[in-house]
Amino acid sequence: MLKQKDQLSLRYNSNQKGQPLTPQERERMLRKFLPTTPSPSTPSTISPDPSPFPSRAPPIRNLIKSQIHTLIYTFIHLFFGLYVRTRIAYHAIVDRILAILYYHHRTPDLIRKDVKNLSRLPEHLSVILSVNTDDDRGAGLEQLVHEVSEISAWCASAGIPALSIYERTGILKNYIPQTHHTITRTLQAYFGNTPYSKCPTVSVRAPNLPTFSPPTTPPTSDAGGTHPDHITILLLSEDDGRNTLVDLTKTLAEMAQRSKISPADISAELIDAEITESVMGEPDILLLFAPRVMLDGYPPWQVRLTEIYHVPDNTEGVGYQVFLRALHRYAHAQMRFGR
Amino acid sequence: MPNSSSLHISNLRKWLVQSPPAEWALGNIKELLLASVRQGAVPQHVAFVMDGNRRFARSHQIETIEGHNLGFEALARILEVCYKIGVKVVTIYAFSIENFKRTKYEVDALMDMAKVKLSQLAQHGELLARYGAKMEFLGQRDMVRPDVLEAIDKAIKLTAKNGKAVLNICAPYTSRDEITTAIRNTVIDYSEPVRPTLKRPFSETHIARNIRAQQLSTVSESEENGQLDTTLAGALNQEGSMDSETMGIYNRVDDIVERYLTDLTINEAPASAPTDIIIECLRDTTLSEEEKRAKVDEALDGNVDASDFAELQSLADQMNSSHLDPTTSSTTSTTLNLSTSDPTSVSSSLHPTNFRDPESITARTLTAHTFTGLRTPPLDLLIRTSGVERLSDFMLWQCHQETEIIFLKCMWPEFDLWQFLPVLLEWQWRRRKEGQVDRKRGRSKIE
Repeated sequence: MLKQKDQLSLRYNSNQKGQPLTPQERERMLRKFLPTTPSPSTPSTISPDPSPFPSRAPPIRNLIKSQIHTLIYTFIHLFFGLYVRTRIAYHAIVDRILAILYYHHRTPDLIRKDVKNLSRLPEHLSVILSVNTDDDRGAGLEQLVHEVSEISAWCASAGIPALSIYERTGILKNYIPQTHHTITRTLQAYFGNTPYSKCPTVSVRAPNLPTFSPPTTPPTSDAGGTHPDHITILLLSEDDGRNTLVDLTKTLAEMAQRSKISPADISAELIDAEITESVMGEPDILLLFAPRVMLDGYPPWQVRLTEIYHVPDNTEGVGYQVFLRALHRYAHAQMRFGR
Repeated sequence: MPNSSSLHISNLRKWLVQSPPAEWALGNIKELLLASVRQGAVPQHVAFVMDGNRRFARSHQIETIEGHNLGFEALARILEVCYKIGVKVVTIYAFSIENFKRTKYEVDALMDMAKVKLSQLAQHGELLARYGAKMEFLGQRDMVRPDVLEAIDKAIKLTAKNGKAVLNICAPYTSRDEITTAIRNTVIDYSEPVRPTLKRPFSETHIARNIRAQQLSTVSESEENGQLDTTLAGALNQEGSMDSETMGIYNRVDDIVERYLTDLTINEAPASAPTDIIIECLRDTTLSEEEKRAKVDEALDGNVDASDFAELQSLADQMNSSHLDPTTSSTTSTTLNLSTSDPTSVSSSLHPTNFRDPESITARTLTAHTFTGLRTPPLDLLIRTSGVERLSDFMLWQCHQETEIIFLKCMWPEFDLWQFLPVLLEWQWRRRKEGQVDRKRGRSKIE
């Protein structure tokens, strides 16, 4: 630790007399904090001497030292592992309690009540999901579609108009009609399937694929005059991240080779416009259901200012309470226990 | 006043910690801890978003620039920790392009501070030189004030020799700007013409002829099966039988042509092979001797010797005198001409420049053009302080895959070893667990 006096003079780069510090003075102040062995020789060159120990200290002392370090390392990790496990358990209990306190009961009214007091809602919510590849393919896919339709229903109930779902492999892109069908069924389960239930309509799309939004039912002739809400679901995969930028570069390079553009024309605005059109704009909030933040190949261009939310040590996967906590976080609101 | 009292408490704590015995003990514990942490896996590349200096200053009721000063001290502490445990690259987000929108007073104060601090880091190289770290700046240099730029260049030069570790200072930087620059530079790279590859030891005419010979022989084989109608089969049979003879003539003409063409500049791809032109014109019975000679001269790009011309003439006669149908010969030679003058040579005669194929651009190409480049190890850990949970345009290209992103509640000036150590330990812990899982999976697969 530096002496107060020295710390101040370093901070303002002047000594007690108010003159700028000379390098020698600085060195004197900091000498004892610096490693004892300055490395004047080039450290990267491999010395011809193959001895595993540096010649400075006797080998036996180094051996004992490294043994002690390994021992301490093992101890630290023993206790740290214990701490992490306790923390995970604690978080799991808290999450469980919240999950019981806040449950949607498949009722849009309850969800609407949960988000009623929020000062703002995201216009575009993005989630990262992962498909479980350990089991057989069918079960993992079914689980994924189930999660997607649940999240869609929550968004539709809360009034979030755009939802983008990132899944690394992009397996869902092959099953757009089926996904649409499942989502519609889930929405009907939430909202009811009567002409008066105002069940929201859904369109599912993926970048560079046509939008799938069949006219589910012919518009009801005069059902109260209010048209139902609409939710857009965008399916993303790893290809929509780096590869899209690479494709854009290829196109730009080709155009430059044919002298259609000059490289100076390439600006962040141009790229942004192209990427927004071909993939999507910036989402307002990115929701992870994983226990820690790892983007896993999520489109890099779009996460610039996106708020990234995750529940630390989340072990429950896709849960309504995570969704709700993210919305609270987005609105900078505190969660009150109980309703 | 809870804020000022917290500052008092921190002052009291500082005084306690600075008493000699406590200082000695703490220093030794720290050393021991760091040396122990080194025993496990250590992230190779760590990035920090140094956020919260201003908020810290506001909450402690000190000047904003004071907050930045404290932030720099925190940085020095953390750098020391990082380099001691063996981190190879530390990247810090020092100044965003967006930060130019702050008040001029603050920007100027920051720039002045940067000048002083840069020399403190690098001048007699205390921190950086002792740990063998070199300083690199990532960002738009032309947006920096010239006097600061001078200080930057000086710092870079002073530390350029160090090769053990790297400190990347991102200023003035945004990641979108970095990606844009990478794309632009890639495009510039690819829109520069490349020299065509040097002449390869294979002649296109040889290859074309070989292919034709093979096709003919296969066709005449299938003809023996009696699948083809007789007239066509007869014609092909004729060609097939004389094929080896024609090949001999072709090869000799080729030899003569090559004698003339060795000193020709190899860069210009000929529109069609000279051998074919020569044989074509020599066999053309409508042309006179002089016309033939002129054409041969033109094809060979120089005057042909009388003896060589005579040999060529005799070779052509030999070819004509052999039972070769003139019509088939002309068709085959035209097809040959077509096949030798492939589309690339046609386009290259239209556009005198050659470009690299844009399809060869990959994510790796773009990575190579980012500020961090290919030599920097992948980003293992990105830490952002001050509880804001977004990336704010930092390292987007580098961190969106395997990087573990950590958001911490504390402000940057409060960030020290005791905040950093849990993050580090957890990272190590996860690595160990993943390693165990992988090993288990591998074992079960073997079983």
